[in-house]
Amino acid sequence: MAEKHLSHHSQSPEKNNNEDVNSMKGTMVSVGFVAAVIVVMWVAVFWLYMARV
Amino acid sequence: MHRLEETWLTVSAGILIIFMFIVGYQTFAMGMGPPSNKETIDPQKVEETAPFDHPGVFKVGENKYEVVMTMEAFSFNPDDITVPKGAEVEFVLTTKDVVHGFQVAGTNINAMVTPGHIQRISQTFDEPGEYLILCNEYCGVAHQLMSTTITVN
Repeated sequence: MAEKHLSHHSQSPEKNNNEDVNSMKGTMVSVGFVAAVIVVMWVAVFWLYMARV
Repeated sequence: MHRLEETWLTVSAGILIIFMFIVGYQTFAMGMGPPSNKETIDPQKVEETAPFDHPGVFKVGENKYEVVMTMEAFSFNPDDITVPKGAEVEFVLTTKDVVHGFQVAGTNINAMVTPGHIQRISQTFDEPGEYLILCNEYCGVAHQLMSTTITVN
């Protein structure tokens, strides 16, 4: 019983850690932010060029 | 591979393809590529070679003008250009000495003029006013003074 209890306690934080490591939501947000900056800059330069044709 | 990695790789590749398609369409279908004329000239005989033996502004068609221009440190010839509003102007450029830049502020005209080469670039001036022409390639100690204007009226 004690062994089972111990193993339960030792597995739960490990599982949580793995979930945190495997979660890529933060990375996705960062990549999305960089992508948005690139797209906005590209569109701005494109608009500037077309406005001067 | 993680699902989110697949997502951003797909989106990134898609954005790249869209950008390349737009730029390719502009260049090849709409003729909006950067100036890339391939005519050559002997840079030591610019003043004896037509059309640069008579630089100036010439009317070549209905509201179409040709500006034959030579550049040298630190001036443009001709330095007094006037065209009517709505004129389509083709600049034919060469340099007698070093590399010069030919930029018209407020337009997309921005060309590198290299000794031994003839550069051609066109622009339609729809808005009246005075446009600043400047050299944007460092060409010597008085490079910052190398500028002129084109008047559209």
